[in-house]
Parts: sequence; C-alpha cells; structure tokens
Amino acid sequence: MSAGVGVDLENLWIRFGDFVAVRDANVNINGGDFFSFLGPSGCGKTTILRAVSGFLDPSEGKVLIGGNDMRGIGPNKRPTALIFQNLALFPLMKVWENITFSMEIKGASAAERRKRADELLDMIALPGQGDKLPSELSGGQRQRVAIARALCAEPDVLLLDEPLSALDLKLRQHMRTELREIQQRVGITFIYITHDQGEALTMSDNIAVMRAGVIDQIADGKTIYNDPNTAFAASFVGENNVFRGKIKQVMGNEAMIATNRSGDLVARISTANQGKLKEGDDAMMFVRPEAFAIAPEGSTGNHFVTAQVKHEEFEGNVFNIFTEGDGGKEIKVSLPNLGQSFEDHTGQMITLEYETRNAVLVPAGELAAE
Amino acid sequence: MPQFLKEFFNRNGTGMGLLILGLVLFWTIGLIILPQLSMLDFSFRPNLPPPEIGGPKDVYTLENYKYLIYGPEGGSQDYNAVDLRVFFRTLLAAVCVTIFNLIICYPIAYYLGQSKGNHIRIFAIMLIIPYWINEILRAFALRIIFGETGVLNTLFMGLGIWDVPFDFIRNDIALYAGLGYAYILLMIFPMYNVIESLDGNQIEAARDLGAPWWRIHWRVVIPYAKPGISSGCTMVFMLSAGALAAPQILGGPSSLWFTQLIYQQFNDNNDWPQGAAYAIVLLVTCILFVLAVMRLFKVNMGDIGK
Amino acid sequence: MNNSFLRISIWVYLAIFFLYLLGPLVIMSITAFNSPSFPRMTPWECLTFQWFSELFQDQRILNGIKNSLIIGAGTVVLSVAMGLAGALMLTQIWPKLRATYYTVIIAPILIPGVVLGISTLVFWDRINRMLGLGADSFLSNGIFLTVIGQSTFIASYCMLVLVARLQRYDIALTEAALDLGASHAQAFRKILLPFMRPAIASAAVLAFLASFENYNTTTFTFGEYPTLTIELAQKVRYGITPSISALAFIIVALTVFFALLNEAKLKRQELVAAARKKATVEELAGKIKLPGFFSGNMAAVLVVVFAVATITVVGTATAYDPGQCIADVRAQKQLEAEQRIQQLRQEREERRKQREAEEAERGGTQTAPKPSNNSGFGNVFAPNTLGGDDDASGDESSDTESQPSNNSGFGGVFDPNSLQND
Repeated sequence: MSAGVGVDLENLWIRFGDFVAVRDANVNINGGDFFSFLGPSGCGKTTILRAVSGFLDPSEGKVLIGGNDMRGIGPNKRPTALIFQNLALFPLMKVWENITFSMEIKGASAAERRKRADELLDMIALPGQGDKLPSELSGGQRQRVAIARALCAEPDVLLLDEPLSALDLKLRQHMRTELREIQQRVGITFIYITHDQGEALTMSDNIAVMRAGVIDQIADGKTIYNDPNTAFAASFVGENNVFRGKIKQVMGNEAMIATNRSGDLVARISTANQGKLKEGDDAMMFVRPEAFAIAPEGSTGNHFVTAQVKHEEFEGNVFNIFTEGDGGKEIKVSLPNLGQSFEDHTGQMITLEYETRNAVLVPAGELAAE
Repeated sequence: MPQFLKEFFNRNGTGMGLLILGLVLFWTIGLIILPQLSMLDFSFRPNLPPPEIGGPKDVYTLENYKYLIYGPEGGSQDYNAVDLRVFFRTLLAAVCVTIFNLIICYPIAYYLGQSKGNHIRIFAIMLIIPYWINEILRAFALRIIFGETGVLNTLFMGLGIWDVPFDFIRNDIALYAGLGYAYILLMIFPMYNVIESLDGNQIEAARDLGAPWWRIHWRVVIPYAKPGISSGCTMVFMLSAGALAAPQILGGPSSLWFTQLIYQQFNDNNDWPQGAAYAIVLLVTCILFVLAVMRLFKVNMGDIGK
Repeated sequence: MNNSFLRISIWVYLAIFFLYLLGPLVIMSITAFNSPSFPRMTPWECLTFQWFSELFQDQRILNGIKNSLIIGAGTVVLSVAMGLAGALMLTQIWPKLRATYYTVIIAPILIPGVVLGISTLVFWDRINRMLGLGADSFLSNGIFLTVIGQSTFIASYCMLVLVARLQRYDIALTEAALDLGASHAQAFRKILLPFMRPAIASAAVLAFLASFENYNTTTFTFGEYPTLTIELAQKVRYGITPSISALAFIIVALTVFFALLNEAKLKRQELVAAARKKATVEELAGKIKLPGFFSGNMAAVLVVVFAVATITVVGTATAYDPGQCIADVRAQKQLEAEQRIQQLRQEREERRKQREAEEAERGGTQTAPKPSNNSGFGNVFAPNTLGGDDDASGDESSDTESQPSNNSGFGGVFDPNSLQND
C-alpha cells in the first residue's frame, strides 16, 4: 500500500454548456501523497474532484488513476472514496452500518461487518459508539465516522471535499492534525479540496492553486508561499502586500520596478517567471507583512518604503501597523512580539525596510478577492 | 436535450433511468394526454354502431356540440333550454358552494394555522376522518339528516319552529350542504399550509399598530394566504362542478347536475360521442373559468397544488 | 373582555364546525343500531344488531368489497410507482420543461373525475379496437380500466406527497452510496427507498382510500366488476336501509381506530427518539430501556379503550336479543295505528252524518262528494308519498311484510306519518 496509487489529469477540460469549469488541467499526483486543490469557491476544484470520483465525465482530456484511463467507468467502479462536504452520512443507518456500507454491498455477513466496524471505530477513537445514529453524534464525531466509512471501502485514493468547513475553528485545527496522521498511517493517496490556505499548507505534500478553472501553480506549501507563480497565487495564499509598477531594469534574477508612490524598488523575480519578465512589462511586487521591518528614519534606497501610518493593532503574537499603500490598498506590517516596546506611530510617516530576497516579482495579474 | 438525457441516465443509472422514464411517459402520455385528446377527437364524431366505426360515415362533425346549444334537430325549441339551463345552474351552484366553503373554512384554517399545542393535532385528525369515509356514505349520512323524518325535521318540529316537514332535498339545501361537506378538507388544507407559515409576529405587529381584527385579516393574513385560498377554491370549484355522487343522492327529482347529463348520455342513451362532447364542454369551461378568476385575482398556476 | 369574547366565539364556531363535520357520521352510525327499517335516530325504538347480520349476508356488498380490494391494491401499486417516478423526474427535469411538466402531472387533480372516467374508457376502447381485440379482452376489463382511470389522478396525489419528502433528500446520499460501490439499483433500494418509506406509506394509504371511495371515475369504467362504492351508490339511489348505516359504522370505526393507532405510533417514535437522545453509550450498546407504550401517550390509551369497547360491543351483539323489545314496539305501534283507525272512522262517521244532515237540509243539491272529503285515501296518492318520501314507503313495506296482523284492510294507508301531512 505504501507505494500508493497515483492520479493524473491530462489536458482536462470540463464544460457546462458555454461555461468552462476546468480549463486544460494537467496534474500529476504521486501515490501516497497528500495533495490539495486550493482556491476560492467557484474556481472549479470541486468539479475536478467530481471528475476524479466519476460523477462527471470530462469534456476533453483524461483522468488516470494508477495509470488507467477512467473514462466510462462509473463512480461505483473506481478505486476512489469521496468524503462529501456535508459528509452525507446515511441518516437512517446506525454508525456501524454506515461505516460498513461498502461491505454490505459486497455481501459481507453482519458479524464480519460488525468486527470491521469495531476496528475502525477504535481507529477513529469512537469505541463503542457503533449503535448510535449519526444524528446523535457531535460534528467532529460525524466527521470521523465519514472518514471511517470511506476507509472501510479500502480505496486507493481518498477524495475529501472541504470536509472540515462545517466545524468550528478549534475542532478544525485539531482535525487537520488528525487527518494528516490518518493519511500517514494508511498510506493511501489523499486528494483534498479546500479554500482554506491554512488547511492546505499544514497538511499537504503538494498544493495546486486554482483560479477560475485554471491551475496557477502546483508545488509544495513552502514554494507556493515563498515563490508564487502568479499575482493570484501570491495574494490568495497567506497575507501579502502588493506594489504595482513597470519593470525598469532586469538584473539577472532580480529586477527594479518603478512604482507610483514608493519610487523604484528592487525584488527577486519568482522562479517561474525568470527570463520571462522583460523591461517595460507591468509587474507586481509582493512583500509579506512579516518581511517588513522599521528602518531608521531617513534611510533611502531601493528596498525602503516610506508611508503614513493609518492605524495600529496589537494581536498578541504580533503587532500590526497599517499604512497607506500603493493603489489605495493599505500596507500591513507585522512585527513579532519579542517583548520589545512598541511606540504609537499613528499619523506619523515611517520608513519600512525589506530584504530583496523576501520580495517577489510576478507579472501583473488578477488578485484574489479579499 | 440529449445532454439532459445523458445526465439523467448518468445520475440514475441506465436501468433505473429507463424505469423512471418509462413510468413517467406512461403516466403523462398514456394516461393523461392521449386519453384527453382521444376524448376530444371522439366528441367530434357521430354516434355509430361498432361495425361502422372507421367507415365512410365516420367523419368529423360539430353535431354533438350543436346538440347542446340547439337541441335535437327539428326540435320544438330554438335552443336546448333544458341542458343549457342545467349547465349554467351547475356552474353557478359550484361557485356558490366554493364561496360557502371559503367562508366557513377560512376561520378554521386561520385558527389551526396560528395556534399551537397538542389539540391542533386532534383537530387535524377530526378533520381528516370524515374525508376518509366514502363519498357515497357521506351523502347518505346527510340524506338521513335532511330526510323528511330526518334529524333536522324531527328537531325543528319538536321545537315547534315549523309543523310541516321541510323538504330539504327538493329545495336543494341537502345538495349544497352535501357538496360543501364533501370538499371542506380540500379548502382547509391549502389555506392551513400557507397560514401556518405566516410569522405570528406580523399579526402581533399589526395589532400593536392598532389595526382592528378585520383589517389585520384584510391587509395581512388574506394577501399572504392568497396562494392557499386560490388553490383551495380552484379544487373545490372543479370538484363540485364535476361532482356526480352527491347530486345523484342528494339532488331533488327536478334538479339535475351537468355531470348527470353526461352520465345519462353514456349509460342510458349509450351515446358516447355526445357524452364526450358534454365532458369536453364541462372541462374547458371550468378551466377557462378558473384561469379567468385567477387572472382577476392575480394568482399563478404554479401555486396550485402546493 | 373583548379578548375573552373573541375566544368564546372561536370555540363556539369550532364546535358548530365540527358538529357539521362529524355530526352526520355520528348520527349515521347510531342509526345502524336502531330497529326501524328506515335509518333514523329518532324516535329510538330498539337496540338491534340485525342490520349488521343483514349486511354480512348481502352478496353484492361482499362482492363489491372484494372488487374494491383488488382494484385498490392495483391502484396503490401503479399510482405509488408512477407518483414516485414523477416526483423523481420533477426534481431533476430540465428547468425549461419543469413548469409544463408540473402542469401536466398536476392537472388530473383538477380534471373532473367524470371526464377522467370517460377519457379512459374512450381511449382504451379505441386502443382495443386498433389492436383488433374483442369486447372481452384484457384492455376492456373493468378491473384494468378502473385501475388505470383511478391511477391517472391518484398518482398526482401520491406525487405531491412524495415530492414533499424528496425535496428534503440530499442527493449526496445517493452519490455516497455509489461512491462506496453500490449500483444505482442498490443505492435506490438501500438509501433512497428507506428515506422515502414514511412518505411512500402515506402515499399508499392515501391512494388506497382514494381508490376505495372513488365513484365519479369508476362509475364509467367498472364494467362487470362493481366496487363497493358503486354498489353503495346503487343501493342509496334506490332506497336506503340501515344496513348501509351498519357498513358506514364499520368504516368509521376502522378509520378512527387506525387514525388513533397511527397517532399512538408517532407519539411513541417521538418518545423513543427523546429517550435515545438522553441515553448513554452503555445503554445504547445494551438494550436500552424504552418507556412503556402507554406512558405519556394519550393516543395509545385511546386505542386500547377503543379496542375494549369494540370487543364489548361485539360480545353484547352475540348475546343480545332485541326480539322482545321489537315485539313490544310493534305491539305499541299496532295499538296506536288501531287507535288512529278508530279515530278516523269516527271522524268520517261524524262527517258523513253531518253531510247527510246538510244534504238533507239543502234537499240533495250536491251529488258528488268533494275531493277534500276524501282525505284519508287521497293522501296515499299524493306525490310526496310516492316520490321523495322513502320513509313512509319503507315503513309500510316492512310492516306489511313482518306483520301480517296489521293488514287490517287499510295496510299502511293509515300510517301515522302520511296522516301528519293532512
């Protein structure tokens, strides 16, 4: 099992009438990976999942599971199991009957099913709850039952459609760890759909960032966070400050852009765009809030930004400063709370500093909605 | 369309999909549409003995419809006064029954819809039980009550209110009471369903603003309940205009219902095309009437049956 | 003050309303136990069960019940199946077709039953002819036609009941089952059908009751298989007897019994669900102790009371003999009738004498007796007695049949009722 079964999407197009839900998706998911599709709602990530599980036929292209083309194979014949957004536990069956439904279909005896259910209940830490009805469980318990039910079918690939979205924050964070643990224990491929970048970053081996039917970037979490391909990926994953401008000069892997407010700034060109961004191109520079520091007054150069502070807030682990920024958007600066004293800068002009390697340049493009 | 069918079979599977589609087509086309068209076609044909059907004499004719208006050819009268009178009287009576039912049922529907508690369930059972009893038996029960020596006559004569038995049947009172009785539930339930969903706070608010009770009903409850009211009225009107059992049992000897004429054409005169023509006239008139009234009160067809 | 007045008037209105609704059924039920051969509550004569035994000996009624059951079963199967298919189609039909489709499948509820009956008859008769089948073929069989005709509109009722529940169905449940390896048929049987079961049960009951009581459509299609309703209508149209009341009483009693039973079941389910909510894991794993069937369940208590009452009544019926009472009443009636006859004779005698005296005074100017003088006989031929007044004729016939001693030359002519009109 540990080798796992991979999933490949080749030139996948899915259309509903004139609407293109998925545009030319090419994804290789390695066997045994925890792979996430990350994107805002309506970006087509659930559509991809439904194509993999077999509820939808691709308009063009292929879905391969373990190297086999899945065209024409129904959801009940595919080696996948799907955990639905609303879990879709069968309300009239007891927990143990829910879990072993796939065995019932295959004609297993009640005793066998009971035994398997007890094993799985132990695994999901719900021992002895098999005789309850799903409606008698809490949200987190239902979640785990849904996982057990899917695992009971012994799928090669487990598909999860935003399964944590209905839970409260605490439980969600707890379930992230638990899901990751379960995945590592069973060793099968997990394909996870989410709009929550925190979930994607903490759990996944690899992430595909999706926007309006298009996959912008596929990489591991660190790469996506530090080295985004597009403006969308940069703005959607984590908080980011954007500076718009025209490229003035390309210097190897770095470039200088001319901004309206902050003058000329230098930044690293993101890996995928190196050699592609040319002088005169519209570009966007992204600097994370935590990549800024307050510079001594009067500092000047191509990695300093001077702006007026609009307001400040104390968040506990960080101290946030919001200043006027380029294009009407505020610049957010997060200073780690290391016990130092914070002055009140509200209304003052301050100079911010960043290291060039922490600023990323991508071609100008659509930003993620707030 | 093929796309829709493809999705349909994808979703239901080929076997289940064919079963569902087959049943739906059998019902809609085989049981609803074709029989009505067949009846329409039949109503334009002469009444022929079976061997001549499809023969040279089997041509389309308006004779059956002319009969309703002008009576038998060479008849003594210019118009078929008897049948036409029965027809219009039926429609008028159905309207009266509908209004009567609306008036008596509205308070009940309002009360049931707006009050809470266990007794509402008991009331609901009490409402439904008579509806589960045979239509014939309900008419029969009323005949016992309205008969010459029935409960009512005995009671009123005992009280000395009148001293000669009042003939409820000959005066059609029994018939109207019976028709009203038969369709009470169909009037109450649609209204109840709508009124139940009316937020009680709206009524409270109106009351707070000092509206008298009749104004609350006129301005708040009735506009809200309009879909239910129209649904109930449509059903009661159509069913009482199309009633057969109650008029046969409770109708006086001189008062015929239009459905009884249809029945006679079919069973006594054995003139199927004529009966079909009468049935078409009844159906079309009722539908047109209902649509006209619905347009008058600005109600949508989609609200019916909810 | 105003409020309490409103409250009282609401209750008075409710009382009158339910009197109108239930009163006729109660009165009809009571007439089943009264001995006069015309169903009547007053005057109360004797408690009798003879109408029940008469009912059970009526071959036509029994045959009608048999046909009704066969047709009812057929209609339930066909209309629930079509209703479910129709409801499933409604939830997934192409949006542009939905309004048209809905109108078509809801229309049979509004089409008069008479029209449905005729169209069914006409259409299948035509199909029959097109296929070149004879008049005794399957397609012109009364049972087939009635099932088809009734299902046309009963399926619409079923569809409405089923679609209401189907709208609460989460399609993801079916997809989950498919995803776990079930075939479409298995997903339907194991997931959708159990979810729909309560609605299917309601729809089946509704369909059966609607089929059982249908008259308007059936009256055109029944052919050689009259249902109970058809037989009842024939009987009621051509003279009514308390054995119909007896049948009505049985139906009312069954209805009330099943309504209460259903209510008790619902209440019990609520109680069980509440108990499960409170139960701990250990209790669930072992057999948890459920509340007794009767605790907190009014309807269950009523069911039992009802059952006991039924047993008592049936017990009494087998032991009870109303013969003495009926004989007493008969004697009483006879006495009254004779008194009336005597009285009448006296009156006529007096009038005759008076007339003779008058004639004698006027000197024989009037030869023919005036019609008004003939009141005693004239009334017999009055339209009322022959036409609408089933009562008098009913009473007469039974009296003459069972009581030859009453045949005092005048028969029922001097029945007290016919005299009252005088």
